[in-house]
Amino acid sequence: MTCRTSVRDVRASAASAVLGVTRPVLTGAVSAALVLGGLTYQAPALAQASGPIKIGFNTELTGPWTFFGNSCVAGLKMANDEINKAGGVLGRPLEFVTVDNQTSPTQAVAASRNLDVNDKVVALTGPTSSDTALAMYGYAEQQKIPYLVPVAAFPQLTKPGTRYTFRIEPDAAGWGYVIARFLEERKPGAKVALMYSDAALMHAIVAGFKYQAPRSKLTIVSDVMFPQGSSDATVQAAQVRAANPDYVIVMGAGAFDNVMQNQLLDLGIKPEQLLHPYGITTQVFGWGQRSAGMIYGSFFDHGLDNLPAEGRDFIKRFDAANGRPPSYVENYCYNTPYIFKQALELAGVVDREKLRDAFSRMKGREVTTGLPVSFDKNGARKEYIYFMQLLSVDGKRTYASKQIYYHEWDADAIPVYDLVK
Amino acid sequence: MSARRWAVALGLLALALPFVLEGNRFLAFVYSIVMIHLIWANGMNLLYGYVGLMPLMFAGVAGVAAYAMIYLTRSHEWSFWLAAPMASLGASLFGVLLGLPSLRLTGFYFTLCSLVIQTVITLAFVFFPTFTNGDTGINQIAPPQAPWGGALSGVWMDETLAIVAVLSVLLCGWIVSTRLGKRFMAIREDDVLAEVLGIDVVRDRIIAFFIVSMFASIGGCLFAVTIGFISPRSFDVLTSLNIWLFVAFGGRGTLIGPIIGTIVLAPIPYLLQELQGFKDVLSGVLIIVVTLLMPGGVWGELLRWRDRRRARRALAVGQT
Amino acid sequence: MSDATLLVVASTLSTGLILGAIFALVAAGVTIVYGCVWLPNASNGQFFLLAALAAWSLTGAGLGSAAAIIMVLLLGLVLSLGLEWLLVRRLYDVPNRNVACFVLTLGLTQIMAGIFSMTWGRWSDQYTLPPLVSGITMIGPFPMTNNRILVLLIALVVLAASFALLRYHRYGRALRAVFQNREAAALRGVDVRAVYRMSFLLGSSIIFLGGLLFALAYSFDLTVAWTMSVTAFAIMIVGGPGSVLGALVVGMVFGFTQAIVSIFASPTAATFSYLLAMLAMLLFKPTGLFLR
Repeated sequence: MTCRTSVRDVRASAASAVLGVTRPVLTGAVSAALVLGGLTYQAPALAQASGPIKIGFNTELTGPWTFFGNSCVAGLKMANDEINKAGGVLGRPLEFVTVDNQTSPTQAVAASRNLDVNDKVVALTGPTSSDTALAMYGYAEQQKIPYLVPVAAFPQLTKPGTRYTFRIEPDAAGWGYVIARFLEERKPGAKVALMYSDAALMHAIVAGFKYQAPRSKLTIVSDVMFPQGSSDATVQAAQVRAANPDYVIVMGAGAFDNVMQNQLLDLGIKPEQLLHPYGITTQVFGWGQRSAGMIYGSFFDHGLDNLPAEGRDFIKRFDAANGRPPSYVENYCYNTPYIFKQALELAGVVDREKLRDAFSRMKGREVTTGLPVSFDKNGARKEYIYFMQLLSVDGKRTYASKQIYYHEWDADAIPVYDLVK
Repeated sequence: MSARRWAVALGLLALALPFVLEGNRFLAFVYSIVMIHLIWANGMNLLYGYVGLMPLMFAGVAGVAAYAMIYLTRSHEWSFWLAAPMASLGASLFGVLLGLPSLRLTGFYFTLCSLVIQTVITLAFVFFPTFTNGDTGINQIAPPQAPWGGALSGVWMDETLAIVAVLSVLLCGWIVSTRLGKRFMAIREDDVLAEVLGIDVVRDRIIAFFIVSMFASIGGCLFAVTIGFISPRSFDVLTSLNIWLFVAFGGRGTLIGPIIGTIVLAPIPYLLQELQGFKDVLSGVLIIVVTLLMPGGVWGELLRWRDRRRARRALAVGQT
Repeated sequence: MSDATLLVVASTLSTGLILGAIFALVAAGVTIVYGCVWLPNASNGQFFLLAALAAWSLTGAGLGSAAAIIMVLLLGLVLSLGLEWLLVRRLYDVPNRNVACFVLTLGLTQIMAGIFSMTWGRWSDQYTLPPLVSGITMIGPFPMTNNRILVLLIALVVLAASFALLRYHRYGRALRAVFQNREAAALRGVDVRAVYRMSFLLGSSIIFLGGLLFALAYSFDLTVAWTMSVTAFAIMIVGGPGSVLGALVVGMVFGFTQAIVSIFASPTAATFSYLLAMLAMLLFKPTGLFLR
């Protein structure tokens, strides 16, 4: 029945396409369109004139990168409250419109579009994962929205030609490069194994490491990449163990990091042989006491040697509020509202183009460490990294660590933008 | 108004709306999304509504075309207007290849098979990052070139989408009115009988897969340049299932049904951005409701209700 | 053999066996429902995941692993009964119900996935259960946890039991009779609807158990549902719908493929290999390798 009816409909409309258009129909359609237009037309979005200054904060509240996203939110909230209590920026409160991107690039783009079009934010900030950050980067550059990246280290976020994106964290290919230099110093001619998840950040670190490894006379004895969503590494851990490496560089997405680490320890790899390119407080709690002795990279840690008084004070206040010491993610995200404050005050008005210009010429400071905050022509910042050794972990309360290495390098020490596309 | 006038009015409205919505970026965006999904829904309707196969690898074919188009424009610096048709042609041939199982399998086995094919394609997108950049996705996809130079964007991009969408409806209408369309419906009703009646079922199914893949591919290329970002998740099985839902919800095997389904359902994910989980639940519930309660879809049930009423009235007239 | 080689071989064996046994178990659950009742349940992966997540929550609330597992199994039984009563029984008399049921359960899959991402997805990103038993056993140079050995044993015992049930028990014979000819079986006094209900309950419970065992042996996240769903269907198709023996053999082959291919190629190439096996099977011999 349906079939026959539809054939008739089909003929009618197909025929109408071939025949001309009658006048009443045309006028009807056009007037309908005009009426609809009158209903929906709005003046093009102007810059926000009053009320809070809105900034879109797009981060990982669910999915594999949850623990990074939540750490970041904790730091950001603290600074935002302080700023608003002290009178806000340009006489207006600062508001971070927070959305969850589920650690999915697709969601991150969709959420950015919503923040841009519906909330009319003056700038974007957020992701702690490089995959989501890259997706947002594309959107921000295309739509000309200033975008401040607190914690995502993929080099291409500041590739030559970047105009609207500014990155606070040193680039990840550089971390890989420094790891090779560090291991060369620790044990010349060391044999190194790599175990990592298939994610943008890991690819960048591995690329930097593989570039420097032969120059530092290191041998890569095993190189295992896991797809996202892996749940077991028994066979691969055995493979790595069988290759008898001096060091294993471990970096997994989300809690898979722990799975790999525990299975390596189960098979008799010593904590001192394990190196994580990055480590934050919640991650350290996950590693636990059995990992004491391992090495991890950081940019801010309460175990650092020469922290200024402001830094010590931040650690104390953060610990009191959250029941755990902050690490580099909390530090960068705590600084983010202050960097916005400095840039907005430099720009003088709430305007996307003016804010972009302010970022590109600002000479600010991290309020916790006093490190300079200024961006080069591509939006990249100072490159540095600390390596820490984990001494002990006290449940989920605190941990002890000591600084064992520090390195600063020039962004062009390695051909960063050619290494990772 | 007659059906023909309605159709012309609707078509004109579709072409006029981009200019109307120009001032509101959000509505204009939702509109462009609806237009792209309309192209897809028409393709899905041809296969699901008229040939009677449920192809869950539909989105995969769209993805292949989109990635191929991006590869040609980026690595070989082809113009979008050359790359998109070539990529679509290639992807459609690939689609025919993927449709070959339908020569042996129908019904559940074909659907299951297409599900596996879709899963394999999605995995391939993730694991061969040379062309796809893996899970990270490809961003900053350049908009097509405008004939007057520069990039096609804003209202003219939306207008292009509207034109292609209207054309896809017309094309779909034309195909089902031809002899080929009738053969499709005969195959849908009973492929064995169709074979007996002298219809070359194998050839016609291959033709169907080519046409449908063309719809999928062109939609995929336009999707990539409109959104400006694609990742394997843009073309996974849920995308296929959603497009299927537009068709089934509106009414399979009718021209109007998929249009209704797309207009009602396509904007939902963009309106419920922050309630991602809720959106999944909603579309799941809709799938169940459609399957159990209205197998003909909204438009199909409406037509059936009208026919029944007419029959009753005719009966009443006959009795008096 | 050197110690290093032995280590890799032993770890491959253990992974292949455990993965294979769990694959086989889930596929057996799917194959019993599909092969006997002709209901292809696309949401079996979500049931698998639901069991694992529920156990995670219960152990998180302070329950021991063993108690949690028993509670989840009971919960699964109640849930399957409810589902059977609410939805599934409506399809028993529908001829040609395959596609309808498949689509229906795809809808159910989406609903469950949405609920999971709104609830458990907010609480964590990866989940592990505390082990049933502690300690390790050395297999040559390879330390294997006793927990995983126990998981393997449970999986094998349940598989053997369901095989015996279908082959030798009265219920199994009734079930095969219904499958071969529903009308004839009804005439001989078999309560067809009761057999259908039993099969659905049995199949669902086995899938629940599979989820629990997987969670005990490995850590898992929300994406495991979809992978498991497709894998179970693949095993069922290759092994032959309705054949527990087929599920066991093909499940083991897939498990070992996963373990071995991931050594020589990459952990990802393995997934391709068995999906392609399933495609080839669908194309050339849709009835599967094994008879029921």
